[in-house]
Amino acid sequence: MSDKPYKFDESPEPTRSSTLRRDALFGEASEQQANSEAQSHSVSEPGERDSGSVNKPQYKTKVKSQTLDIAQPETKLPQQVTEDVWEVEAKKGGISLGAATLGFGVISLLGFFVFEAYTTLVVNVSEHPIGTGVLGALLIGFVSCFSFLSFKEWRGYKQVNTAMEDASVIRNLLANQGIEPSAGKQPSAENQPSPEKIDRVLNQHGKRFSQGSYAAHCFDRYQQQLQDDMTGPERLGLYEDTVLKPVQEKAYKVLNKESVTAGSLAFISPNNLIQTFAVVWISFRTIRRMARVYGLRPSTAGNWKLLKVLAQNIAAQGVFDLATDEVANQIGGSLSAKFMENSAEAIAAGALNARLGRALIKLLK
Amino acid sequence: MQKNIATFFDKTREIASLTGDKLSSAFNKETHRFTITGLSRSGKSMLFTSLITMLKSRSEEGYACLPLLRYLPPSQVLDMHIEPIDGYKPFPHIQNIEDLENGQWPKATEEAFGFKLVVRLKETASLKRHVLPHSDVVFEFIDYPGEWVTDIPMLSKTYAHWSDSAWAQLSSGPQQYFANQWKAFVNQFDFEQEPTEQRIQLLVNAYRDYLVEAKANGISLLQPGSFLLESSDFDWQAFGFTPLPSSITSDVSHPWFNIFDKHFAKFQNGWLTPLKQSIFKETDKQIILVDLFEGLNHSRQHLYQLKETLSHLADTFVYGQSTWFSRNVLKKEQIGKVAFVATKSDLIPVSQRGNLLSLLMQITEGARARFDGKPILFEHFLVSSMQVTDDGSNEDAIRYKDTDGRYVESTFEPIPSTLKEMEEGSHFPVPDVSVPSDYKARILAGKGVDRLLQFLLGKGEQE
Repeated sequence: MSDKPYKFDESPEPTRSSTLRRDALFGEASEQQANSEAQSHSVSEPGERDSGSVNKPQYKTKVKSQTLDIAQPETKLPQQVTEDVWEVEAKKGGISLGAATLGFGVISLLGFFVFEAYTTLVVNVSEHPIGTGVLGALLIGFVSCFSFLSFKEWRGYKQVNTAMEDASVIRNLLANQGIEPSAGKQPSAENQPSPEKIDRVLNQHGKRFSQGSYAAHCFDRYQQQLQDDMTGPERLGLYEDTVLKPVQEKAYKVLNKESVTAGSLAFISPNNLIQTFAVVWISFRTIRRMARVYGLRPSTAGNWKLLKVLAQNIAAQGVFDLATDEVANQIGGSLSAKFMENSAEAIAAGALNARLGRALIKLLK
Repeated sequence: MQKNIATFFDKTREIASLTGDKLSSAFNKETHRFTITGLSRSGKSMLFTSLITMLKSRSEEGYACLPLLRYLPPSQVLDMHIEPIDGYKPFPHIQNIEDLENGQWPKATEEAFGFKLVVRLKETASLKRHVLPHSDVVFEFIDYPGEWVTDIPMLSKTYAHWSDSAWAQLSSGPQQYFANQWKAFVNQFDFEQEPTEQRIQLLVNAYRDYLVEAKANGISLLQPGSFLLESSDFDWQAFGFTPLPSSITSDVSHPWFNIFDKHFAKFQNGWLTPLKQSIFKETDKQIILVDLFEGLNHSRQHLYQLKETLSHLADTFVYGQSTWFSRNVLKKEQIGKVAFVATKSDLIPVSQRGNLLSLLMQITEGARARFDGKPILFEHFLVSSMQVTDDGSNEDAIRYKDTDGRYVESTFEPIPSTLKEMEEGSHFPVPDVSVPSDYKARILAGKGVDRLLQFLLGKGEQE
């Protein structure tokens, strides 16, 4: 430590303010300063013989130190953003709950068939214990999983609604943050929401992101970059930069890709029925993938809105098909006419899918 | 034929992209000139070293550091490189990193270094990106010894004026404890004898000894600071001068007065004037680094002296808002944004940093008074160029590895939030921290640099 070998025998007693020194060292402007300070200096006249025995002071330390018996912990390098690899499709790990439900259902159905066949064959041994037990177990499994799945869905929908409320709180906080203080003024601490309050809101919002979603991935990065000395607005700004904006950008990227796929499928579809099926499939895939980005699924109300948009899209696609067919008929049945018809339908399918995606983004952001 | 067409298209595309690059370099360049003003030991060189390391690690290696620097989003940074500034030696960044690698802090700056940091950003606007694919943000930094900055106010003085004031200054305040030997030397010195080269050197060396000792004991108000540097471009051995007793300075015919008056004039015209024109040229943004620990380490008087020194340093610079006309036609810049920065803030516990910020605000009161009536944006920051300490066992404690290799925990009593609160006769010794082996991770964990850059680069907004 840097304790200085001072002796605190004598402290300079203030005599009078050294305006001469201030003025001469730094110029005329220093006079303004001269009277504003509480500091006083004892002044020796230039040329004064023998400055006396002014000893160096010894100060009382306000820091207590003790040696620890442990090694200094290593600081980890921060996360590398270049490692920002995230796949829209979730990695399949084992059998999903949905597949298990379906499996149990199919097995139960088969079981009943087998049981029925079995009872038909062995009419007289209807009280066969093993068959009944197995079928009963399968049925219980199916009913249990189905109930749990339903519960999870219900809980998910509830969470989405709360997440939307959180999002509106965050939007309000961000809007209030945009007020700029004028030049030379200190930002007023009273008007700023406390870091604790902002932390609470952001953590609540972040906690609802489903595991493995892009939003959850961004939220992890936000938490890693948080520093203890950050103010509330700084935390909010960091959340906006590391979670809200990247998620939004990713959602638009995914939507663009899905719209191109929708257009491509519409282009290569040989007939209107297949085209409609393709549009419906790609629409559901868009909804699923976007939900993976946001880490949320649309709520019940949202689903209805989306289904409405989907139905409108399909209807619009149908009308568009009719129109392009008619135009193609007028032009003639040449290959170029077919090409033109399919191109127009592809553009329409892409645009309609983008419309669906934008409705979805509006619901989820 | 097909091959020829393909070649033609390739060349056209190449020319278009080259033209776009050149156009971008010519028109899409944003230059920020920073003056980083700080007294000696305020941490300028370490701040530069950290800044370069952080920006390079962020853009080249993708490390998620500087999270609050929204002005340069990592996703838009294409490239970052360092360029020299004409007339300056390049900043020894690699040497400083090697020093850290070897467990030594970067050496104190003894000459001026200059460098430009050029950050190339991807253009995101849909139309503009085809014509001007990138924009360059250029930071110009000049590192210079902090000792020089205290000498600039000497430009407007006569020798007699300076001598009298310097004598009064060394007889007062905390520096009086270190001036005894110098005063004793002057008392026994025979000024009746002619000022020969040897005798002048004797006197100058004795005065320099006082300056060196006072500096080592935290005194910030020392003139001429240039005499403290061994490698100073001003030959103080041959043209040195010292303050003289008033009995001599009041006699303009005295040979000692005459010779020192000549040397003082040479110091002003041959050293300070060119220095002010080259190093302290007008810029648009200023960072004033303040090492509050120099004061806290010693006494309340030291803090008052720091406040006084800062307020006078602000006189050296031109403040105001530059217009397009003044900047581009008159080639005259004024400082429109000022950041007051307390460095080494990691050396106190997080719980005490609010007090440190309040203290910083009070210390800069005098300097800020220079902005009255001018549209100057200013803000106060606590910065740690490298997070050398860890959290302690309680909120008032920090842990660090000292220069003897021991892992130490220091518990702080409350840091004063105002000068008045600093108890007379007490001090807060600065932790004697060694360079940690994981210095890079700790540089990237440094705090406040992002906040500081965001304030200086932002379009007038305060974050």
